[in-house]
Amino acid sequence: MSTLTKKNALGFFEIRLESIGGLGANLAGKMLAETGALELGFNAANFSSYGSEKKGSPVKTFVRFCDPEIEIRDHSPIEEPHLIAVFHEALYKIVNVASGLQPDGVVLVNTTRDFDDVRSSLKIESGTIALIDAMGIAVEERTKINTAMLGAMFRICDFLDPEAMRTVIRRTFEKKYPQLVEPNLRTFDRGYNEVEFKTYEVPEGSQIKPFKRVQSLLGYKTQLPGGVIAAQGNSILKDLGGSRAGLLPEFHAEKCINCAACDNVCPDYCFVWESAEDKRGRLQQVLRGIDYQYCKGCLKCVEACPSDALTSLREEPGYAELNRVTQVFC
Amino acid sequence: MAVSENKLSDAVPAEQVTCFESGNEMAATAAAQINYHMMGYFPITPSTEVAQYLDQMKARGQHDIQLVAADGEHGSAGICYGAAMAGARVINATSSQGFLYMLEQLPTQSGTRFPMVLNLVTRAVSGPLDIRGDHSDLYYGLNTGWVILTASTPQAVYDMNIMALRIAEHSEVRLPVIVAYDGFFTSHQKRKVKYFKDNAIVQQFVGPNPNHAYANVSDPSRPVTIGAHMGGDDLLNNHYQLSEALEKAGEVYSEVAREYALLSGREYKVLDLYRMEDAEYALFLLNSAGETAKDTVDALRAKGIKAGLIRPNIIRPFPAEELRTALKNVKALLVGERADSYGAQGGNLTHEIRSALQIDPDNKTIILSRIFGLGGKDFYADDAAAFFQLAIDAAEQGSAEKPFDYYGYYPGEEKDALAPVIEPMHGNAYKTGLIQVTQNEETGLLKVKLPPLRQLTVKPHRLAPGHGACPGCGALSALELFFKGIEGDMVVLFQTGCAYVVTASYPYSSHKQTFVHNLFQNGAATLAGMVDAFYELKRRGEIQVSDDVTFVMVSGDGGMDIGMGATVGAALRNHKMIILEYDNEGYMNTGSQLSYSTPMGHMTSTSGVGTTQKGKKGHHKDTAQILAACNIPYVFTGVESNPQDLLQKAAKAQWYANNVGTAYGKILCACPLNWKTPDDQGNELVKAAVDSCFFPLYEIEQGITRITYNPEEKGKRIPAVDWLKRMGKTKHLVKDTELLQDFENEIERRWNRLKLRHENALL
Repeated sequence: MSTLTKKNALGFFEIRLESIGGLGANLAGKMLAETGALELGFNAANFSSYGSEKKGSPVKTFVRFCDPEIEIRDHSPIEEPHLIAVFHEALYKIVNVASGLQPDGVVLVNTTRDFDDVRSSLKIESGTIALIDAMGIAVEERTKINTAMLGAMFRICDFLDPEAMRTVIRRTFEKKYPQLVEPNLRTFDRGYNEVEFKTYEVPEGSQIKPFKRVQSLLGYKTQLPGGVIAAQGNSILKDLGGSRAGLLPEFHAEKCINCAACDNVCPDYCFVWESAEDKRGRLQQVLRGIDYQYCKGCLKCVEACPSDALTSLREEPGYAELNRVTQVFC
Repeated sequence: MAVSENKLSDAVPAEQVTCFESGNEMAATAAAQINYHMMGYFPITPSTEVAQYLDQMKARGQHDIQLVAADGEHGSAGICYGAAMAGARVINATSSQGFLYMLEQLPTQSGTRFPMVLNLVTRAVSGPLDIRGDHSDLYYGLNTGWVILTASTPQAVYDMNIMALRIAEHSEVRLPVIVAYDGFFTSHQKRKVKYFKDNAIVQQFVGPNPNHAYANVSDPSRPVTIGAHMGGDDLLNNHYQLSEALEKAGEVYSEVAREYALLSGREYKVLDLYRMEDAEYALFLLNSAGETAKDTVDALRAKGIKAGLIRPNIIRPFPAEELRTALKNVKALLVGERADSYGAQGGNLTHEIRSALQIDPDNKTIILSRIFGLGGKDFYADDAAAFFQLAIDAAEQGSAEKPFDYYGYYPGEEKDALAPVIEPMHGNAYKTGLIQVTQNEETGLLKVKLPPLRQLTVKPHRLAPGHGACPGCGALSALELFFKGIEGDMVVLFQTGCAYVVTASYPYSSHKQTFVHNLFQNGAATLAGMVDAFYELKRRGEIQVSDDVTFVMVSGDGGMDIGMGATVGAALRNHKMIILEYDNEGYMNTGSQLSYSTPMGHMTSTSGVGTTQKGKKGHHKDTAQILAACNIPYVFTGVESNPQDLLQKAAKAQWYANNVGTAYGKILCACPLNWKTPDDQGNELVKAAVDSCFFPLYEIEQGITRITYNPEEKGKRIPAVDWLKRMGKTKHLVKDTELLQDFENEIERRWNRLKLRHENALL
């Protein structure tokens, strides 16, 4: 029988997964909780933040573990977790991912960057940062990043027996996809073994930075009656860069024939055009570039482009900001 | 015959297995174990999963329930009622608008006394629309004459689903039963749950189907009339019977709960009284919030405060007697409700508790009522603590300062009020003059002259970026492309569906021009009223606007199933508007359930592939031909991969909508998530659907059919398998020669018929 090494006042060890839809955090949370509940004898609860979010939108998954005799009655989202696992690094730009972390808690991040870099962008003062290149492992093993993240989470949750997870992985894949058993076991083990840690000392007398519940922007005095919105098109204020899962289209102006095939298929209206004179002095529409603020990296435009003016690019931090062509909405 | 504590613990429960599942999974598990005869369902968040899990289990051969995908909840309630009248055992699940849409059927079923079980996965009622949990749908059920059980945990969902059928079919009850549990909080949270290992245990508990002993339609040797209309004398007596039966259901509930406790080891008393024995301050809360608040009760007790909690397991019949007893010595009670009865100074249950206590002349309990947690707003232990503080304060003061209030509202700050971010554009801003529509004087048919598409990029987008659609969404690209063909002002109405949800998520809007949402089934009717009012206001000179404002109703995600009636109605009345369907071949907005436009054999979350079934039965709905039969002036099909074709059709549709009457268009759109394809493939996929002649591009202008792109003539025709093999949802179909042949035959049959129509203007 395993024992929890840390607990909150209600007896829970709490985990929050921060991800975007489509990366498998929901499934990872379910497998983690199920393994603890059914294989290791804990009581557990697991749920995700639900809304009308689609693939690519921020999502949170929650796992609570406690001793088997404790009844779980709390239904509310986890605010002050012992472990936060960030599946998608770019999320920190739009979500306060490390919010409410316990002073001696662990933040696991899927990244290729180094500790201090991650620490400063996630604004973590104290606690342990754990880094894993889950994307790299998944690409090499042709699996999904969630299995690598699970491996790292099992290493962090030292009260969980990794062998139990291996059993669950075998059981999950062997019937329908037997060829996926070994790569997934390898991915899990690599996550477990390759995760690296660095602890930042808890300053004397430091307390949890209290979790701040998100307050709605508007209230009953500032909402228009009936929920009417009179600020048409205000979704342009949003930044959807965090929805990209690693790739974006790169624009090569010199190859562009201005056919608008990209513009016709883009679901996110990212192509920026300008009226300019052509060689014969006639006014023509010319493609200036891509407004990456709204690009979700679907790459439909790359498929549609007849002239190789758009190609797929592995996104490096800062590329989108540097190469963005800003749309003028008027 | 009360069962003593000893007896309960001495009883040896039947063998059970522990799983880690959600409320929806457990409702499906219980239904599968009971092996109901019928489920007539329609997808709605968050209850849809019940049908999905049952479909998965059915694909694996785990039960024989006939799962009928209805055309809307009204239809689903009809299917269930019909099946119940046939003497079948019937299960269903719904939420929110779905419950309201079937509401008129519910008293009909209880008044004619046909039992069934309905899982109501509670969710906020629109408007404004909110997909998360509160009890505003449940409260509409209070006057339906159905028994209502409230299940606060996934375990209770399982247990009550089994108990519910026994209560419904009891000889002295014979009423339908609702099992209500909290959307998302209970429907989607996974917990450890026990279920009976052997289905036979469950089937023994519910017993053999007793319905054959009662009036039903399945025995021709005993013909009956069901549903004769009545006058007041008779109706009053009928309702007296119903009222008596519903009261009786309370006793039956306790009997069944005791019996179930012996079988399972879990007892659900009428009221879950948590530390109420000497409580001075109490909360009354339904379902999941009632569980959450128990932690607060413990925390207050640890401080020496005599706190307690009441959470009912049944609210119809209302447990008045049990509440009078439980509240005898309570100084102050706060009734927290996740739904208001607007203008009544308290939610429905506040008033029912007040009237229960009013009968007890000695009762001195101060009652406070608070509306909280609407639309899934979370309820934390500290919220429960705040409720207790209100009760304690009232007890100390001897009265409630504010007997009724909302809890958790927020004034907002002036600085955060929404400010316009773009200058509104209208009229000439959207008139490029580049698209010319002319009418042939001889034939009366239209001709459209388009510029090269790059020139149309000068026109501002109708939709703004920053919306929340999935990467690679085919609906959002195709809609904007269609809108490029419309000149001048537009007013759009989107029915519920993905395109609505992702473009109008409060406080954000991705619409630059005026946009309206209305519910899933009613867009065409709503826009019909809007457009006629617009022209009437104009006729009376109250508004001065140009004639070429174009009204467009946009529907998708199965909206042409539930909304077909309103659409046909609008088409037959020939209102001056465009009805546009983005067809993504399923209810993608609720998690990819089958719609009637899902092609045969395609896998969805309610048309699974397994040993006993191979995707969707039956072929896809031909909505364009249905609308053609309404004899409206213009019908078309289109795709984004033929942009010139689509823009020409948009321009024609606008001309007809502005000058003649209704135009209808169906645009096939890829859904990478649920077609199970890479995000970048959408354009290629709809192109392949067209080139395989699965989705021919044509128009029917003033009754004359014309194929606008013929892949055969262009030498582009491909076999359907070349389309199907590229999607995860049809992988299995590619390997199944018989099914594939059936699919190809249907494509060929429809294509050949279309070619004949193209060749003959009279067809």
